[in-house]
Amino acid sequence: MVYKLNRNHMSTTARIGGGGGFWGDQTLAPLALIEQGELDYLTIDYLSEVTMSIMHKQLVRDAEAGWATDLADWLKAGGIGMLHSMNVKLVTNAGGANPRACASMVLSAAAEIGWNDCVVALVIGDDISSRLSGVGATGAELEHMFDASKGSLLDHTERVVSANAYLGAGPIARALERGADIVITGRVADASLIVGCMLHHQGWAKNAESQNLPLCGPISKWHNDENTLDIIAGWTIAGHLIECGAQVTGGNSSDWLEIDNLATIGYPIAEIGADGHCIITKPLLSGGAVTPRIVSEQLLYEIGDPSSYITPDCTIDLRSITLEQITPDRVLVQGAIGIKPPETLKVSATHRDGWMAAAELAVPGPKPRMKAERLNQVLKERLEHCKGLNIHCEFLGDGALLPPNLRIDSSPPSEIIVRWVATSHDKMELAEFARSIAPLVLTGPAGVCGYGARARPRELLRFFPTSIGRVLIEPQVHVRMLHSWRHELELRMPWLEEHIFDRLEDMVATQGVKSRLAGRVLKRLERVKEGETIHD
Amino acid sequence: MTKTTVRLGDIAHGRSGDKGDMVNIALICHEKEWLPLLESAITPKLLSKWFNGWSEGPFEVFSVPGIGAINCLIHRVLQGGGTVSKRLDSQGKALGQAVLDVQIAIDSKIAKRVGFIAERF
Repeated sequence: MVYKLNRNHMSTTARIGGGGGFWGDQTLAPLALIEQGELDYLTIDYLSEVTMSIMHKQLVRDAEAGWATDLADWLKAGGIGMLHSMNVKLVTNAGGANPRACASMVLSAAAEIGWNDCVVALVIGDDISSRLSGVGATGAELEHMFDASKGSLLDHTERVVSANAYLGAGPIARALERGADIVITGRVADASLIVGCMLHHQGWAKNAESQNLPLCGPISKWHNDENTLDIIAGWTIAGHLIECGAQVTGGNSSDWLEIDNLATIGYPIAEIGADGHCIITKPLLSGGAVTPRIVSEQLLYEIGDPSSYITPDCTIDLRSITLEQITPDRVLVQGAIGIKPPETLKVSATHRDGWMAAAELAVPGPKPRMKAERLNQVLKERLEHCKGLNIHCEFLGDGALLPPNLRIDSSPPSEIIVRWVATSHDKMELAEFARSIAPLVLTGPAGVCGYGARARPRELLRFFPTSIGRVLIEPQVHVRMLHSWRHELELRMPWLEEHIFDRLEDMVATQGVKSRLAGRVLKRLERVKEGETIHD
Repeated sequence: MTKTTVRLGDIAHGRSGDKGDMVNIALICHEKEWLPLLESAITPKLLSKWFNGWSEGPFEVFSVPGIGAINCLIHRVLQGGGTVSKRLDSQGKALGQAVLDVQIAIDSKIAKRVGFIAERF
């Protein structure tokens, strides 16, 4: 497979860049990737399980915040002009908890360079935090995904900070089909950013548009081929491989010792074919490396059962995937098997659960282990009266990163950092914990040092994964140009408004699983409407 | 069955990551053909021994033959998940590297059959 330097969109292979792995990654990495990557599309995943909740907290304080501000930094450092002049489309979930504010920033950045016909699309509908009780009224159980003993998200409604469904590639593809230059999304599954580009690039989105297929429906219906699911699986794997940025080009690799140019590490490019294969590579002359060893580590990164890696677009069996070095820094990836995805979407939620504070001090030899033990004992005795306080202590430098049975028996280290993390539902107890650290320097064993600023308690957000029926999620695509709405595609399902019944009845009239789900929802809503309380 | 003790890192390289309260440790054989060695040596029972005190399981091990790897899942190991874990390594990112220094017992017969030669990686 040889890549032809052909930027024509009729070319079947798409070159898609992965410009970052999280909010806080190297801010200007996308610039190098656009400049040297010969890209058709640039994708950037800014979100993690934790990020959404941080963004929601910011949004509460400031109506214009709650999105990945790194995006503004590189767009305004010349990035927006480069996207324009090099004709690279940008697809990113930088919108986080506030995609509208993020899109406004993008439009104003475009205006600043005179790119007045820049088309920005918003993909929203993932955020269900404000309508949890409405969702609950439909009978959705929202039970903990992995641990039934944790109950339902609905048990925590009052304390929920964020709740976002993972949207798939469909809405992104439709946004691109409607002429978007830049697509800003909320919580979209990481790999779906890439799959969305492919659905557009290969003309599948055009089919969906002309047949008026639903945004959130199965994208396998957008293309008629016996290998359709395998193709989607291949695209999803390509997306999975580049969504963590430089983790597939030599970052965080076991081969770090052999890679001597990590300082200039190149961010990844996937050359993705119509048939689902891809080649992972990086810009010429950039640092890092792309080898099967490195790609294999990323292939299994954050994966559960490899026979069923679930995404909104496709469930994937990745056991038969093979990796092959074709030429230096180019690895061919093929063999993913696609399976129909579930009728539910994953929901990432977080809820408040008390407070947390961390502090650390260092102890030197002689007898660093005994000193560390004694120091910890003194602190715990002084705080014994704080009944709600739970203190965790670990000895950094003495095996703390491994479970006890795996710690290699060795002679004592020359020094130990004693690290404490305390939690409590009473913020006052944490204030007392924080005040108790510095005095240990003068009132503990000898030589204690390393005292920093007094620890500040932060709110603890507990992660709560659950799932929701696709029928209950209403993704929307808004395509927007400077100062005007060009067109607006809305598949609305306004919660508990009158015409929801009409919409559900329409759905019931269709065939298949969606119809059955809609039927169940309709029945429940009718009972709620009649004033009945539903318990189950 | 004759056993030989080797450093895990001599058979495989690794990376770990988190998902909720779970950590996955991917171990990829330096040579694809060595996979049976890992499959026989790293079992859910061994993982439960390794993680005693940190997790009561469940523990799972899956094979990924296409790339000569196993994927180890350690459930309920992050004190509730990355956002609430009190450990410095709240997402288990260090584990994929840290386990490479652990000595494991491998079946000498399988080692011979798959042509395993311990090297320093």
